[in-house]
Amino acid sequence: MPKFSDIAYYLLHPQELRSILQWNIWHSPVHERYEERECHSLRMCFAFLDKTSRSFSAVIKELHPELLVPICLFYLVLRGLDTIEDDMTIPLSEKEPLLRNFHQVLEEEGWSFDGNGPDEKDRELLVKFHYVVEEFRKVKPEYREIIKDITKKMGNGMADYANNAEHNINGVNTIEDYNLYCHYVAGLVGEGLTRLFVESKLANPLLLQRPELSESMGQFLQQVNIIRDIKEDLDDKRRFWPREVWSKYVDKFEDLFKPENEEKALNCSSEMILIALQRADECLFYLAGIKDQSVFNFAAIPQSMAIATLEKCFRNPDIFKKNVKISKGNACQLMIDSTQNLELVCGVFRRYARLIHKKNDPRDPNFMNISIACGKIEQFIESIFPSQKPPERAAILEKQLSPEEEAKAKADAEEAKWDTIYMGGAVLFTLFFITVFMVVIAWFAGARFDLALAELKPSNLFKRTPAANTEKQIHYDEL
Amino acid sequence: MSDLAFSNDSLGHVLITGGCGFLGHHIVNILLERHPSTRITVLDLRTNVNRNLSPKLRPDVVIHTASPHAFAAREVLWKVNVEGTKVLLEAAQKSGVKAFVHTSSASVIMDRSMKIINADERWPVVMGKEQPEYYTTTKPPTAPPTFLTTALRPAGIFGEGDGQTLPGMLNVLAQGKHTFQIGANDNLFDFTYVLNVAHAHILAANALLATASMAPTVPLDNERVDGEAFFITNDAPIYFWDFARTVWFYAGDRTPLSKVWVLPEEVMSTLGGVMEWVYGAVGKKPAMTRAQARYACMTRYFDISKAKRRLGYSPIVGLEEGIRRGWRRRWRREGGGREEGSVE
Repeated sequence: MPKFSDIAYYLLHPQELRSILQWNIWHSPVHERYEERECHSLRMCFAFLDKTSRSFSAVIKELHPELLVPICLFYLVLRGLDTIEDDMTIPLSEKEPLLRNFHQVLEEEGWSFDGNGPDEKDRELLVKFHYVVEEFRKVKPEYREIIKDITKKMGNGMADYANNAEHNINGVNTIEDYNLYCHYVAGLVGEGLTRLFVESKLANPLLLQRPELSESMGQFLQQVNIIRDIKEDLDDKRRFWPREVWSKYVDKFEDLFKPENEEKALNCSSEMILIALQRADECLFYLAGIKDQSVFNFAAIPQSMAIATLEKCFRNPDIFKKNVKISKGNACQLMIDSTQNLELVCGVFRRYARLIHKKNDPRDPNFMNISIACGKIEQFIESIFPSQKPPERAAILEKQLSPEEEAKAKADAEEAKWDTIYMGGAVLFTLFFITVFMVVIAWFAGARFDLALAELKPSNLFKRTPAANTEKQIHYDEL
Repeated sequence: MSDLAFSNDSLGHVLITGGCGFLGHHIVNILLERHPSTRITVLDLRTNVNRNLSPKLRPDVVIHTASPHAFAAREVLWKVNVEGTKVLLEAAQKSGVKAFVHTSSASVIMDRSMKIINADERWPVVMGKEQPEYYTTTKPPTAPPTFLTTALRPAGIFGEGDGQTLPGMLNVLAQGKHTFQIGANDNLFDFTYVLNVAHAHILAANALLATASMAPTVPLDNERVDGEAFFITNDAPIYFWDFARTVWFYAGDRTPLSKVWVLPEEVMSTLGGVMEWVYGAVGKKPAMTRAQARYACMTRYFDISKAKRRLGYSPIVGLEEGIRRGWRRRWRREGGGREEGSVE
């Protein structure tokens, strides 16, 4: 049963309700899974996917059959790694080798792990991890290598952070650290996915030569999550906003959440949003390299959601109080716009860039840089989908004449003018001649022009009116 | 700027016209800094030195920045920009100049639609009746001579010594008109900090000298600088009113957006028309003109990939730092300080 507040919301936002209905009625997946043909372990893997992922499970399940299973398993492997990293009940001495060697257990038949604390939400996945391993061993070796390589890099990155006592106490220190952290947890995923897309020939191989693009894809999503989840992370005693940023606005991280510091906290969030926003144009660039529709949808939906979330968080004091989310209606509209083509996704980015720009406050120290970042997104979109092209302006060139040409054009125009006059004269003369000719013939044939002219005299014209009236009266009398 | 690597410390003998002007004096400064052994001659209305270009000068490089104010009388614009440039080119030809850098204007491609969206150098130059600003008609360079030439087209220059952009905006603030915004402010606009434009001139002079030194070998078509035009911007198109608001912020304004009145462009341009007509009847200039309304709502930004690729140009000072510097200089001057940077 929908909540009363939801009903009230959608009554006030019928456009959003329309988006929800449209998405649910009209969206059909590019590819569908054939569940009945899947073996038990694979079905278990998809069940875990549904259980562990809120946002990614739907898009993963609509992927091209070639990548469906590899990417589902890639997700579960990384989720498993994350579950180990997150769990504070595992002692470091045990955690570190687990993280560093996780890529090796992927092919160890029957491997599973029950060392997680009872409160860890994805504990079940690791307890029954042998299903993942079983399916992983069936994946094409090329894909397996990519997944293992990324798992190894990420596991080592996480182990480094787990070892770093300072990080555990104070959180992320510099912007560089912040970028590095996001690289380990998201940039690497971008790299891995890109390699899978290219290996399966569903994306342009040039993407591999521009690693900064896939890095930005991952960084953008991760940074938006970090901005949105600041309150939730604080409650879990984690800090991802780098000290280098927040220390410009407040002395202690916790001060960001005090009501009296609202203005400072908002300016601080602006800087975080600015850092993320500067990646947006590279995300669009990346999407231009994808060839397959299902892969495009898979990559584009989260990006559209991310920029919409960024807009929702921008200059919004609620992020320091609760979890801010975009509405279901907006989410459906974003999915409709992100499952067609790049031009529509660019439209989404431009729309949200302008909304951010509209909220931008001149008193915010990041005001100008945010404005420039929004402008940069618009300029990038213009560079791939230009709304103004030079050939359209070639017409102007033609209008520009040298003095000689101008004189010639003037003479031409003069000539054309007389041509028109002559032509008009000839037509008039012909009409006149024919009229006279016909009148003369009619006269010879006995036409009474004198009577006709007399009829046309004004006095006669007016006399007719009362006569007409009498006729009408007679008509009525007859009745 | 000392970190910028320039191997040679001299560009030979450089003649800078308008070298005491807004852009010119920055070029002189940057030239002194980067190529300290360069012999510099400045030709300017405001100096008392010889105004005739003597063939005895024999410069290697001419940087031609001199131009009247964009709102000067038509005859003055024509005489200086077209005839003056022609005279200079002829004199340069006679005295064996190697490189000639001409300061053009980004408005040369502006037409009556008053819209430039991410334009690059493929856009044709617009002159005569189709060109809305007479100043611009006088700006494209004249017939190419035998030595190497290039034209730079900076867009919306501002900075220290600026007589138009920053003072114009500060005037609006002084009159309290900053609480009105004409148009929706979705129009992106290119503003360029003057030092970046000066930097581009030095890069262009260097590139032309390099081409001259490797003659008779000519550069590849996609690398050449001579005979080419380049748009120069800060590579940071920004929403027009956001730039103005940043300037006002540095001037001490703290008006929140909620206190700003947004006026639709159509209304303002009609109003401007009426004002022009009324004031015109009594022979005065109105506070609000159609041209101003149009300017504030104009989309006008450029793609400067060509300058990046061929000149190796990229802005060395960001927009906000540029505003800060421009503002600082103004403040110092008003406080009775001496204007820095001008050449004696």
